[in-house]
Amino acid sequence: MTSPPKWPFRLLKFFCKRAYHLDIEGDLMELYERRVQRLGPKKAKQKLWKDVIFLFRPSMIRSISPDLNTSPMLKHHLQMAFRHISQDKTSFIINLTGLSVGLTAVLLILLWVQDEWQYDKFHANDQQLYSTYQNYDRPSGAHTTERTPTPLAQAMAEELPEVEYAVAVNDLFQWRNGLGLLSNEDQAIEAKGLIASEDFFKVFSFDVLTGNSEQTMKRKDLIAISDQLAKKLFSSADNALGKSLEWDHSGFKGLFQINAVFKLPPANSSLQFDVVFSIDHLLDNDQWSGNWTNNYARTYFVLTPGTAIETFNPKIDQLLSNKEDKFRSSLVFAEPFSDQYLHGRFEDGKVAGGRIAYVRLFLLLAAMILVIACINFMNLSTAKASIKMKEIGVKKTLGASRSSLATQFLTESILLAFMGLTLAVQLSYLLLPFFNRLADKDISIPLNPAFIGGLVAIGILTGFVAGSYPALYLSGFRPITILRGKLPTLFGELWVRKGLVVFQFSLSLLLITALLVVNDQIQFIKEKQLGYERDNVISFQFKGEVYDNWSGLRDGKSNETFYRFMEELRNTPGIQSASTISFGNLLDKIAGQSGVSWQGQTEEEKGVAFKSPVVGYDFIETMGIQLKEGRTFSPEFKDHYHRIMLNESAVELIGLENPVGKILRMNGGDCEIIGVVENFQHGSLYDMIEPFIFRFDINGGNVLAKIQAGTLAETLPRLEELHQAFLPGRAFEYTFLDDDYLALYKSETQVAVLSKYFAALAIIVSCLGLFGLTVFTAERRRKEISIRKVLGASIYTIMHLLSFSFTKVVLAAVLIATPLAYWVSSNWLKNFSEGISLSPYYLLVPSLSVLLLSWLTISYQTYRAARVNPSHALQEQ
Amino acid sequence: MRKGSKIGEFEEIVILTVGILGDNAYGVTIKDEIEDRVQREVSVGALQTTLRRLEKKGFLSAKQGDTSAGRGGRPKLYFSITPYGKKAIQESRDVRNSLWDALPPGLLNEIA
Repeated sequence: MTSPPKWPFRLLKFFCKRAYHLDIEGDLMELYERRVQRLGPKKAKQKLWKDVIFLFRPSMIRSISPDLNTSPMLKHHLQMAFRHISQDKTSFIINLTGLSVGLTAVLLILLWVQDEWQYDKFHANDQQLYSTYQNYDRPSGAHTTERTPTPLAQAMAEELPEVEYAVAVNDLFQWRNGLGLLSNEDQAIEAKGLIASEDFFKVFSFDVLTGNSEQTMKRKDLIAISDQLAKKLFSSADNALGKSLEWDHSGFKGLFQINAVFKLPPANSSLQFDVVFSIDHLLDNDQWSGNWTNNYARTYFVLTPGTAIETFNPKIDQLLSNKEDKFRSSLVFAEPFSDQYLHGRFEDGKVAGGRIAYVRLFLLLAAMILVIACINFMNLSTAKASIKMKEIGVKKTLGASRSSLATQFLTESILLAFMGLTLAVQLSYLLLPFFNRLADKDISIPLNPAFIGGLVAIGILTGFVAGSYPALYLSGFRPITILRGKLPTLFGELWVRKGLVVFQFSLSLLLITALLVVNDQIQFIKEKQLGYERDNVISFQFKGEVYDNWSGLRDGKSNETFYRFMEELRNTPGIQSASTISFGNLLDKIAGQSGVSWQGQTEEEKGVAFKSPVVGYDFIETMGIQLKEGRTFSPEFKDHYHRIMLNESAVELIGLENPVGKILRMNGGDCEIIGVVENFQHGSLYDMIEPFIFRFDINGGNVLAKIQAGTLAETLPRLEELHQAFLPGRAFEYTFLDDDYLALYKSETQVAVLSKYFAALAIIVSCLGLFGLTVFTAERRRKEISIRKVLGASIYTIMHLLSFSFTKVVLAAVLIATPLAYWVSSNWLKNFSEGISLSPYYLLVPSLSVLLLSWLTISYQTYRAARVNPSHALQEQ
Repeated sequence: MRKGSKIGEFEEIVILTVGILGDNAYGVTIKDEIEDRVQREVSVGALQTTLRRLEKKGFLSAKQGDTSAGRGGRPKLYFSITPYGKKAIQESRDVRNSLWDALPPGLLNEIA
């Protein structure tokens, strides 16, 4: 007889339910014996393993814990937890409120972070999807642009084997916001257009609902439209297929056939569009767009899996320098497509963060709030140690192990954490609409397993962190000392408890300081004099034709209609002055100009790029920029494209003594400097002031009009009327320049508003903790207070006695947090070219308010304690 | 049929086999009998799960018995059908019979 192998039986013994184990083992042995006889030991062993493995099923597996006592113990722990709760409702309510408020904040922050992280990540190719950027030299360091030469995409797809697909995309340069008029016989709708090369729908996962997207992108006469647009124009996607639409945009126009319908891009997509055209429209309408030296399109591509972008980047660069020897190396590079939202800021040609900073900030905030809430729990439960002491002593004498006591406390804290979590989820549901409005988002609570799993994890983590200290601390008491009625070494405990409060209040103080600084800096930005006037200036794009053709600028052809429009605009009552700019404004998307040469230029200076908006008559006046010398563009002098104006910074860079009348060479012609303006802050305060060359063109698609102060209400309807007369059917959409300026700081403002609420929550939770601690101390010192009163202490002395210990703690927090707050705020302010200076005000106000807040929190309790009637308190025992 | 007394196909086979084996129904013999009669391989896991489930539901009762050679001294667990189990298989059979009776007479000839 061969003895059966041991391991299968050991395994069975390990997992099988005790009650089933023995006879199943017997059966298996019997079977094994028989199989050895029939099939030989090898086969028998295999079959045995198979049988054991197939016995591993839910109804056969025993519970994990080795002692069979687990579930009654758990029941006992839960029962004890509920008894403790009903014994001391005050601290339960304080704990629960603190935890649920804290967890609500954490939940909302996590939802926000999750939403930020998901941005642009819905494309199936996300892992391999990249966008290219190109660097240009500027005096202030390399400048990065998102646009690259149009032919790059095709060349990459053809010549680099690592590239699966590549696509060139142009958003009509945001001219008229990329909005054109799409019309059928019945109606006309403004739609956002996108021009893209063939593989657009292969690179991006925009769902094509019906039709042939591949064919559409290849042919000039076909278009793809969004389902929303199809529904509006033809009532359904299927109806729209094959129908014709008229497109009208100053870039190009024509009659198109709908060959595909796609689902409108979701809100978390950076590419937003209603209609897609073939790239040929760009190439046909603009003679410069197909060049290797002009940046007309964004290039996106899909890399074959397994290719590292670091090793691939030099290859794009090589490709570009092969095509155009003007380019030196390391100019073009690619970054993951979905990174551009959170890591969209470039400094000196390299990624330098972006929105990710706020995501990190909020995660830190969430962690801080959670820690503050946990500290409350720790504090209150260690403070209650004296009450629990007898229970612990008795249990220990009866043989309870330290680990079983620790489990009891952890059970209690995890139970509380889950109660808090349940409340927090409900609170978040209630607050979500409000939160969405604040954060300008459309977040909903996802009820998927991952989210619920995450919640459970947060609950357990919170319960564990909050309960760990009491569990370790309380379970370590020696039964003999505590049953004798002696307090265990209170010294250490007191220090820990005070240390925790110090930590809490340091965090609160840090938050208050940060809030003050951020808010004041934003206020500073709002009121900052920029060197031009942005009040009462409206800005809008002329949606009609500005030039006779797209690249009209250098051909000097102007459009009569637009010319008349500008004339009538200037004559409208209430309009102080009006001008044009080719596109953008002085805030962003300012055109650039490189290849400028002048007398005495050094080799190094040849690569310098200037900011160079193309502006119309009266621009300097409309914007209120200060003229330093010379004159401005004016009809009197019949100015043309070869007359330019500089700012001081440009004069300095070029090194001109008497700039007016001097000549610069650019774009293949001599340009005469007619005037110089003082420096002004373009863009946001994050930007450095750069050298400007104002070029001149009588027409420019973006209109700026200065309205006389106080006449806004009358003037705007007049403008509306004028617009209607010239462009019937097109909406008159304008923005105020000062609003546009503030919009540059949208994330800052949003973050400031959000953090205000979260900081308030953090402070509330801290104060709750302090409140709980005061209640407890006051109760524990009742007798002491009574004796003091009997001996003649006044209410004031007693309040002083009670408050003083807390005041010391808060003062310690002030001492710790103030330098930290100073360091953090001054670092943040360094981001701005100009900002508020950190006066003592920013450090004193938070300290005083924290002190005041803590006094307010404890005053009622100390007062109540001091008012106690000594005879009642002393009678109790 | 009342709710709760429903039995599945494999469960029915197991109960019937236990009945067939009479006093000698324990893990190994039940497995052998089913494999013999139904001509399909039965894993110990599947059989044991079903046996314990049927026991829990009250269709079968279990009694620990003696051991025999080759079992390393481990006891055998004998199963027998409870009155409730008998009722359940009877009901199951009745349902089937009434369905068979309702079948049009000519149909089976066609199959054959």
